[in-house]
Amino acid sequence: MKTESKNTKTKKITVTVKDLYISYRGLKKTSIRASIGKLKSKVEVFEALKGVSFEVEEGKILGIIGKNGSGKSTMLRAIAGIFSPDKGTIDLHGNSVSLLSIGVGFNRKLTGKENIYLSGMLLGFSEEQIKAKEKEIIDFADIGDFINRPVKTYSSGMYSKLAFAITAILETDIMLIDEVLSVGDTRFKEKSYNKMKELISDTHRTVLIVSHSLDTIKNLCDEVLWLNDGEIIDIGKPEDIIPKYVEFMNK
Amino acid sequence: MEKFFKNIKKYYKYAIRSAKAELKSEVADSYLNWLWWIIEPFCFMLIYVFVFGVVFHNNTPYFASFVFIGLTCWDFFNRMINGSVKLITNNRDLVTKVYIPKYILLLAKSFTYLFKMGISLVITFGLMIFQGVPLSWHIIFIIPIIAILYVLTFGAGMILMNFGVTINDLSNFTSILLRMVFYLSGVFYNINERLHGKIKFFLLRINPIAFIMNELRKVLLQNRFPSFVGLTFWLCVGIILCAIGIHMIHKNENSYAKVI
Repeated sequence: MKTESKNTKTKKITVTVKDLYISYRGLKKTSIRASIGKLKSKVEVFEALKGVSFEVEEGKILGIIGKNGSGKSTMLRAIAGIFSPDKGTIDLHGNSVSLLSIGVGFNRKLTGKENIYLSGMLLGFSEEQIKAKEKEIIDFADIGDFINRPVKTYSSGMYSKLAFAITAILETDIMLIDEVLSVGDTRFKEKSYNKMKELISDTHRTVLIVSHSLDTIKNLCDEVLWLNDGEIIDIGKPEDIIPKYVEFMNK
Repeated sequence: MEKFFKNIKKYYKYAIRSAKAELKSEVADSYLNWLWWIIEPFCFMLIYVFVFGVVFHNNTPYFASFVFIGLTCWDFFNRMINGSVKLITNNRDLVTKVYIPKYILLLAKSFTYLFKMGISLVITFGLMIFQGVPLSWHIIFIIPIIAILYVLTFGAGMILMNFGVTINDLSNFTSILLRMVFYLSGVFYNINERLHGKIKFFLLRINPIAFIMNELRKVLLQNRFPSFVGLTFWLCVGIILCAIGIHMIHKNENSYAKVI
């Protein structure tokens, strides 16, 4: 199947997750006294993901649903490279990836402009790339003169507007979105929703969205993956999966 | 190792920017601003000179410069060790949201400390000129000596950073250890004069900070050559520490986010 996907350019796989296991055990917080004793106490193992496998094609939007604690966020973080899998593999086929998260690496005492660079470079972009997009980010954030003032003087709305603008304008091949962001006032909310739609409907961009809003999933996604207690219950078209999920949750 | 250099190359610009940002934010809303970077070490020097020079009658030549060299060196070491233990937990927000090689955090921190050390060195030279210390070309040896201090502390810092994630009370332990090393390093007394025999011999050999301080004073105040054998030895130790630290971080860094 792999050779086939190479030949026909239309079916390029960008994310391959194979038999993914992640448990919260590996390292455990301890104190010096406890480690001197080396008492082999039973370490509690929490398996967040138990053998998850799936593939996503280029340009597709995959929604991930499931109740709280079913391992959705853990999976996104693993794909973003923040965790390493305990077992199994994640192959991104050389694509760049980012977890859309608000205000990473912000320094509250510095101006908005300086924080654009700090945050952007942290997301793996070069200084030149950010410079090229700087104006676009500032325009999109739309916070006026505040861009030259320290971030700590911002209202919480302005803060999220700037943060969203950074992550939305600096784009990567694969975008991971944990809970669709609703920030700022009504006007900005609409703007950011539209921007988000524009971003994720790009035919080259693969998007994975975790959301509890079934409407959003229905509107945006091509495919839905249903996770429960770390296992895939079902994967398929939204119109097939969502009714089953709703029924399950109402039980 | 290759991965380490690739990461450094990719992220050093971020480290520099982040260091600049931190320095800027440190002075952003204080009254005397960056002057604190000068006032603070200078006042500590005055305290030590008063207590140990005047009260305890220390007659080491150029005592103020002598103390200041010690403080410059000590402050860097102390800040690096203290800073690295809680580094990951203090950057919780960052560590749980993006992937970044964790030693880049330490690198960024170390740049801010290097900058402060630079200021401190400038004051040292000012003080030396003020006290009429005869200067000679031996001064250039401070460059390799400080480089070795950097490699040593960076290596130790990475190892402490790694254990600091899982061991909650490591900082209690390191603060005691640091206090001990402080008094055993001869920041405000001359180990060569005050101690004799075996203690002096071992202190200058086992304690890298005492050794490095002593070498710095040799090249700055006494116009002497540093001990090349000693420097090479500690450079090797530093490189080994770095190798261990890098290995540990590469092995564990992906799990840090799970623990904090």
